[in-house]
Amino acid sequence: MRNEVRVGTVDELPEGTHKVVKVAGKEIGVFNVHGSFYAIPNACFHQNGPLCLGVISGTLRADQSTSWKPEWVQDGEIIVCPWHSLEFDVTTGQCVAYPKRKLPTYQLRVEDGQILFSSDR
Amino acid sequence: MGSPTTDSTLEGRGPKQKLKDMLIVDVDVHVNETPAALLPFCEMPWRKSLQALTRVPQGYLNIPGYAQAMAPWPIFPDSSGQRRKTVTSAKEMRKDLDDLGVDIAVLFPDFFLFHAALQQADYAVALAKAYNRWLVEEWLGDDNGLKGAVLAPHHDPLVAAAEIRRHAKHKNIKAVYLPTAMVDPLYGHRRYDPLYEAAQETNLPVFFHSVTCIHPAFPFNMQGFSTLFSAHILSHPFSCIANLLSMLETGVPVRFPNLRVAFTEAGIGWVPWIMLRIDKEYNERRRDVPFYTDRPSNYIRKMFFSTQPIEEPANLQEMATFLSLFNGEDSVIFSSDWPHHDFDHPSKVLQIPVSDEARRKILGTNALRLLNLEGVKR
Repeated sequence: MRNEVRVGTVDELPEGTHKVVKVAGKEIGVFNVHGSFYAIPNACFHQNGPLCLGVISGTLRADQSTSWKPEWVQDGEIIVCPWHSLEFDVTTGQCVAYPKRKLPTYQLRVEDGQILFSSDR
Repeated sequence: MGSPTTDSTLEGRGPKQKLKDMLIVDVDVHVNETPAALLPFCEMPWRKSLQALTRVPQGYLNIPGYAQAMAPWPIFPDSSGQRRKTVTSAKEMRKDLDDLGVDIAVLFPDFFLFHAALQQADYAVALAKAYNRWLVEEWLGDDNGLKGAVLAPHHDPLVAAAEIRRHAKHKNIKAVYLPTAMVDPLYGHRRYDPLYEAAQETNLPVFFHSVTCIHPAFPFNMQGFSTLFSAHILSHPFSCIANLLSMLETGVPVRFPNLRVAFTEAGIGWVPWIMLRIDKEYNERRRDVPFYTDRPSNYIRKMFFSTQPIEEPANLQEMATFLSLFNGEDSVIFSSDWPHHDFDHPSKVLQIPVSDEARRKILGTNALRLLNLEGVKR
């Protein structure tokens, strides 16, 4: 038995946008990344800042393959916390700065133009 | 926290706590490389300069045109103790180290603590090469525990790399000395990459060693102070911190994963503090250093820090706490700075209330690991 809540419509969340909704007693950010929908908590583990009120961005990486020069990557997939700029991959909940810190991700489903949040996770 | 009933600073040499079979490695002692001593090892035309310098009066770490101390502070008679503050031969050094209870020591220069301040690059490079030749010839011939650090002239990193490779094969060359006071630009600059490549390739650790100075280059601009009291408190740790941060911001520890790094003569109190600052900044400014994928302080935990001038809180238990904050038991290495004014006797480090195992590591085995001398026993 699915316990689903409508958190928005596909029309109101075009690619590259996101919004914060309150659902099942918690605030979550709902994101349209490259046409797919993702949800993470609106709370940064750092100092509990309202993470999903931040902007969607990309991030910088540098490694041997870039000759250690910064490269802009993951454009449109990274949320930057408005409080202290900690970055998270919206699609996985992974914190960019700390490999062992990951936010939970929530299951979303689209049906008839409605974005549905499953609180069964 | 109760107040200490005794003040450790006043405990003097204290009980003889040297552990049986404990090997003591001292990663910072100083040799006196006078112009006259280097003269036969120096190429022309700079040999002429050394000849001229033999007629210039020599002060403590101060010969104008050779090692410019720039110490515009008043002096008073007998302020820093009446004892010899130079070591002029390997034999004399061996005797001194025996008196200190030191088995193995890494030699650093006296005057060339100021090497980076030499303005004429060709002159500076010639002196560095002469020093390295002299060190090998006059100090490192015997297997008597004296080990050398190749002076890498920052003025020309390609020459520095060549010097490292040239001398690395010598049985008693165990480190690279990077003159740290007044170095400009700081050691994170990519111009130094060839030097780090050479150190990594030859598996020699690089040692940062500073000295108190006044110089316009950051962070050596100590003219804000009117006393040596203040300048000397900050000079060494500031130099180390500035160069460490410079290296971190260009990713030296990431780009040279096998490079081993040691900081000398700055004590250890600053280490946990700067690690905390670095990690705090990383939260907000990771994009400035996008080659890190986790706390940058993890790299500092792999670096080595020498003890002298060891902090002497009234309650020595605090030093054990400090060590615990950055895994110092495995990364702190003893140094005396003999024969300089602020040398530390090994007994001071032995007084820190840590386990005998930790004492053995800090006094000896950590340095053996760093210097590729594992397996050496007393």
